[in-house]
Amino acid sequence: MSSVISAKGLTKRYGKRTAVDGIDFDIPAGRIVGLIGPNGSGKTTTLKAALGLIPFEGSLSVLGFDPRTQRDDLMQDVCFIADVAILPRWLRVKDAVDFVAGVHPRFNRDKAERYIAATSLKPSMKVKEMSKGMIVQLHLALVMAIDAKLLVLDEPTLGLDIIYRKQFYQNLLEDYFDEHKTIVITTHQVEEVEHILTDLMFIREGRIVLAASMEEIGERYIEVMVSHDKVSAANALQPIDRRTVFGKSVMLFDAAAHGVSRQQLAALGETRNPSVADLFVATMKGSYA
Amino acid sequence: MNTVTMKWLLRREFWEYKGSMFWAPLAVAVLLVLFIGGTVAYGLSMHHIPTHITINGQTVDGYSVGVTLEARNRIAQLASSLYLGAAWPLFGLLTAVIFSYCLGALHDERRDRSILFWKSLPVSDGMTVLSKAITAMLVAPLITMALGFIASLLLLFIGCAAFATRGINMFGPLLASPDLYLSPLRLLALLPVYVVWALPAVGWLLLVSSWARAKPLVWAVGVPLVGLLIVKWISLAAANTGGEPLGLMPYAQEAVARLLGGIMPGIWFTFDDGVPPGLRTAANGVDVGSLVTASYATLADAATWLWALAGAAMLYAAMRLRRYRDEG
Repeated sequence: MSSVISAKGLTKRYGKRTAVDGIDFDIPAGRIVGLIGPNGSGKTTTLKAALGLIPFEGSLSVLGFDPRTQRDDLMQDVCFIADVAILPRWLRVKDAVDFVAGVHPRFNRDKAERYIAATSLKPSMKVKEMSKGMIVQLHLALVMAIDAKLLVLDEPTLGLDIIYRKQFYQNLLEDYFDEHKTIVITTHQVEEVEHILTDLMFIREGRIVLAASMEEIGERYIEVMVSHDKVSAANALQPIDRRTVFGKSVMLFDAAAHGVSRQQLAALGETRNPSVADLFVATMKGSYA
Repeated sequence: MNTVTMKWLLRREFWEYKGSMFWAPLAVAVLLVLFIGGTVAYGLSMHHIPTHITINGQTVDGYSVGVTLEARNRIAQLASSLYLGAAWPLFGLLTAVIFSYCLGALHDERRDRSILFWKSLPVSDGMTVLSKAITAMLVAPLITMALGFIASLLLLFIGCAAFATRGINMFGPLLASPDLYLSPLRLLALLPVYVVWALPAVGWLLLVSSWARAKPLVWAVGVPLVGLLIVKWISLAAANTGGEPLGLMPYAQEAVARLLGGIMPGIWFTFDDGVPPGLRTAANGVDVGSLVTASYATLADAATWLWALAGAAMLYAAMRLRRYRDEG
């Protein structure tokens, strides 16, 4: 089994609307994949299909299991945060820890208690007494203490303040992740995760428009701060995006698509790797129109 | 099946519904003891010894109530076989608690989306639905039985203590009465009968809870009632056109009674297949044991088992629905 998730012709329709439109992809083990797309693009639907939460068409194998028929086996090795602030209001911190410790063979209680101790949560606190940020903290503490082969995070840090968000991703990378684990993350705050991602998947209107490792993306996409006198020469090379920063033109080039080389671009001005956010905006042009 | 997981699932249900399954019956039990016990104690100790005593409809008459040993034994017999009857308000409460529990059990987790958290753990839908059915049919009734037993026993002792203040020792004959000890066991013995009878209702309510997008109460009560109305309309139409009476109404009524009333303890006494012989008077008091026999006799009826099977099928359907219910 080489792939952790392998999809072929994965399709999900809600009535007449096609949420996911026959996508194919493979996620190997030991990767941190960012699944990025606008609202309603099919990110969450794809993840729900992989987690056996919804029926779908096409074929999908997760850790070698079919999520439709083998969900109970699958859940021994998979954990997920499907949404923020979904812990039930009556749940107490200590009961939540007891329960997960009771039902999950891969749960590390000490680890969870250590994470909780680093927050302002108290063992006797009920979810209904917590702020949204605290609920997320509890949920993350529980999930991070589970030694799962595949962790799926759908907008895990929504509602958290910036300090905790940074800390979460740092913990995820240092404390949780290793070469045997795979993490799939969706988020709107692309800039916060781009340093930890190994792979990117852009999804738009139910189709994957870009799937590549961060190295490939670094080689393929080049951003150039074009000097004034070279703007028309640069435009001739068909940039996929252009914008103006402090009066200077910043253009984004796809080296694979138009056969432009790094040397050619370096002659136009200062080159650098684009941020995932800029790449995303360039790729998604038109989806919001 | 994983018993450790089941234990935690049952514990989880108890955490969530502790208020209605434990604190509410406890409060009612305390009120029962305070009000009834207080009234009895006050009445017996401050006023005259009664000339006759009525315990759950059984009257012991005569002026000699407090005097002869025979009369005291008779009272002790009656009291020891019927004292658990004092707990009936608790069983009324239990019916309401189980009804609302079953309707909420699979609906609330979808409404607050916490189902997504529970489903992120290695707990199958089958185990989850089963844990909720067990909570409704065993855990909640057992808690109520225990509280009912304690409250009834306290009331009995309060009554005896009140007699004692008038110099009449009721403790002796009471403690010597085997019924005092057998009554709670008889109550416990009814639990399997209860499970069989409650299964159709618990299955139906959990199915609606798992299926309804909103207002499970309206669906759970509305569907059987509308069904009943349709059957009635068909029967009337058939009668008006001069056709053969279809005789569907009794079946429809039975279905509604089983689907909605099955969780009521003792509902089986209201079905004509299992009409109880009433409380038979035994040599020294009443034969409460006959209630247990009559209850088990209802299990000889094939319809009861067919309905229980239908209940199990509805539980299965509820489990399948929970598997793929997508709340977006």
